[in-house]
Amino acid sequence: MDNTRNTSREWTHGLTALIIALFLLGVSSGLGVMKSIVDIWGMILSIPEYPAVIMREMYLNWKSRSVNQNFLNDEVTRLKEENAKLRIDLARLTGEKNYSVASNDIRTARVTLRAPMSWWSEIRIDKGEHDKITQGLAVFSNGYLIGRVSSVSLMSSWAELITSPSFMIPVVIEETRELGVVMGNGDGNVYLRYIPASKGAARAGMKISTAMIGEQLPPGLPIGKITSEFAVGPDGYATYKVEPGADLSRFYTVSY
Amino acid sequence: MTLIILWLIQDLLTVFSGGGMQIPGLFILGIVYKLLIDSSSESSLRSIWCAFAGGILWDLRWVGIPGFFTLGYVAVVMIVIQVWALIPPQGRISGTGWLVFVLMEISQLIPPLLPVLILGGSAGWVFFIRQQGNSLPAILLFMYIYSRKVKNSQKV
Repeated sequence: MDNTRNTSREWTHGLTALIIALFLLGVSSGLGVMKSIVDIWGMILSIPEYPAVIMREMYLNWKSRSVNQNFLNDEVTRLKEENAKLRIDLARLTGEKNYSVASNDIRTARVTLRAPMSWWSEIRIDKGEHDKITQGLAVFSNGYLIGRVSSVSLMSSWAELITSPSFMIPVVIEETRELGVVMGNGDGNVYLRYIPASKGAARAGMKISTAMIGEQLPPGLPIGKITSEFAVGPDGYATYKVEPGADLSRFYTVSY
Repeated sequence: MTLIILWLIQDLLTVFSGGGMQIPGLFILGIVYKLLIDSSSESSLRSIWCAFAGGILWDLRWVGIPGFFTLGYVAVVMIVIQVWALIPPQGRISGTGWLVFVLMEISQLIPPLLPVLILGGSAGWVFFIRQQGNSLPAILLFMYIYSRKVKNSQKV
């Protein structure tokens, strides 16, 4: 073992590396170019990572087969039929029959990145232009809307989450048909705003779904339910806290 | 080359786990192992910059913001270099098993701890605790490889 050492050089190099790392940590979160670099690096790594992706899919398939395949197949068939009926009912209720046809073709994507600094704002998924992902496409988890695609690259896309402060969509309270706007606050909370407080019809437990007046998202997509009244503004409109139907702290895949 | 392979294995295991399990930091364990085997100044400098590069690439792949693991990896290398330098070369061969374990454990402790300390949150602590449990077999494996290497060098 060679023990010739130069302590001052080690300190110089070590401290230089630490300072550069701290500098990067400080400035990179605000740089828009960083997202492009992350995407490019992810695209490069997708080549050596391909066997692991295939192996994971094989493992998941094997795992799902080993758990009483017949029972699951019957259950999936039954749920599909029930789901199709519910979609038709939902489409009829919202007056938009096209939705039931379009939403029959549900595909899944894996969440490949959820940066801590933008935890409640956006996620990256492993499907892009190649998979016919388009900007504005609705993204679901557990059957509930969790966001929409904000940018698309060749093999991946970024989706803005409903907890993002810049995410605003018109919604309807299903029980009362009152219209409002759902928006996040960036801290994991979702709020329903602009509901007239004087009417007082909205109650905890009422379901919320996207409204027909939205430009990008089709109507009737389930979002969650009202949990409590948050505040009444001086303008007479109430803000309600919303509990998203999907678990936004625990999802590894999304459907679209 | 070994470090590149270790980095890729760590990356592939993370992809395979699909985020459902925390993968041990094989790359930084490899660097610590190399530092323990060869504590020369040139090896130390090489290790610092290898840790820096590996940390940035890991951050770009799995964190999205370069700096977190870069900082952790370089800090680990600096700690290992300084602590190992305190042990006289003659004393590094026998009776340092516990120290090797501590240094390798530090390499698994600091990098995931930094994001938790900086960002906070209960989800982060769960991540951190699970990673420590999962990294123990990897630490024992590297300790075994290290002990074999030391025994062989003694024979020569």
